[in-house]
Amino acid sequence: MNDPIDVAALVTNRRRGYTLPAPFYSHPQIYQEDVRRIFGRHWIFVGTEPEIPEEGDFFTIDLGTDSIIVLRDDDGGVRAFHNVCRHRGARLQQAQRGMFGNIVCPYHQWTYNLQGDLIRCKHMGEGFERGGFGLVRVHAESLAGLIFICLDDKPALGFDTLRTAMEPYIAPHDVANLKVAHQTDLVEHGNWKLTMENNRECYHCTANHPELLVSMLEFGFGYQPSPDNVKQVEGFEALLAREHVRWAGYGLPSGEIDQLTDETGFRTVRLPLARSGESQTRDTKVASRRLLGNLPQADLGGLSFWTQPNSWHHFMSDHVITFSVLPQAPDRTLLRTTWLVHKDAQEGVDYDLDRLTSVWVATNRQDGELVERAQQGVTNPAYQPGPYSPFTEGLVEKFVEWYISRLEATHGTL
Amino acid sequence: MSSPFNVTFQAAGLTVSCRSDQFVLNAGEEAGIALAFSCREGACGTCKSKLVSGQVHMEHKGGIRQREIDRGMILICCSRPLSDLVIG
Repeated sequence: MNDPIDVAALVTNRRRGYTLPAPFYSHPQIYQEDVRRIFGRHWIFVGTEPEIPEEGDFFTIDLGTDSIIVLRDDDGGVRAFHNVCRHRGARLQQAQRGMFGNIVCPYHQWTYNLQGDLIRCKHMGEGFERGGFGLVRVHAESLAGLIFICLDDKPALGFDTLRTAMEPYIAPHDVANLKVAHQTDLVEHGNWKLTMENNRECYHCTANHPELLVSMLEFGFGYQPSPDNVKQVEGFEALLAREHVRWAGYGLPSGEIDQLTDETGFRTVRLPLARSGESQTRDTKVASRRLLGNLPQADLGGLSFWTQPNSWHHFMSDHVITFSVLPQAPDRTLLRTTWLVHKDAQEGVDYDLDRLTSVWVATNRQDGELVERAQQGVTNPAYQPGPYSPFTEGLVEKFVEWYISRLEATHGTL
Repeated sequence: MSSPFNVTFQAAGLTVSCRSDQFVLNAGEEAGIALAFSCREGACGTCKSKLVSGQVHMEHKGGIRQREIDRGMILICCSRPLSDLVIG
């Protein structure tokens, strides 16, 4: 199954509305293309500003074969560098997170400041020009506190459009003044695209996510109209219209934006939550009593934000959850989930950690099992591409369309 | 010239004499104590140590963060004693 394949032909011949042929989920050659042309060329969500609150704070991230340092510099900005010393290439930092004074290579102590300039190196001679040996920068942008990086020298187009569209939605949740309450790294035994496809539909939710469904109103995620649901749909549409007016009164934009097929693709919408409508918790009430920013009410539903190729986010009045998907192998994917609360909220006083995290801990576990099950199926020789629901899986199709179009657009350019 | 101070290196279990114009690292080296260091100018942070007690005058070059100093850390390569010291 690992014989060389014609990737270009597979891309060109992809059947619209159908799942991808098996090699896309398992073949090492496609995985290499994904790492290079999808994760190497587009804006990748890697973390949040509250993970590096102070000057010198850093985290490292693996993207394919690249290791990247993301840090807060002495001016309070976010920067990213390749985690490679300019002397003999040693990895500068092994830790997943921590704090730098200066950046010192443990091998021969070449020393860089947080701007990446080489400021010190011994025994290199009088005429040695340190200026030519600064750390190699990686493009990094903060979108209202969400950190995206792009490995390409010429980053994917459209980050400005994303920023202009999304800042008014996210800013009221004041991400810069949140803190990390919890973070999990879940390794899913499936191809990264199966993780993303699973995220882009809720066809599977009813039978698989009992905890999530307590707060979720399923009509917000697509349905086939029928005589059975006509009354419920009317009720949902009326609620949605009422809530959008109420939220607008608080200065909270809530309408759908769907730019999923753009080069820097994204989608957002604020939707009501069920019952008390406050948060994605087991009882739909806020998990933290410190509301974010200057939000006036607890019952603000959930603002969701999805990006191509690797993230989704839910913003409630009391907490924010972010999800970053990072491929590790053709059949292995890291899902990093981060729960953020107001920076002054105290665990055990303002919030209970289990109450805050239990819904998505359970949902992630269930999704991880579904992804593994899907991987087992698509690597079975009997697998053939199957049809997406036009009612509930339109966003899966948009993810796959985006993916295919980006492989086409970047073909032959590396 | 004031009289030297006593500097105790807890890990080595040794107390040495350090002049007020001398860096703590140099005093330790003169006494034959093996101490981690690299740049000798406060840039690399290799010699970062806990100041258990006492006071120093430190002139570093970015190898240590203010919040580390606030937690009682010093770079011994660029710190001169202002009193007797205990280094963790």
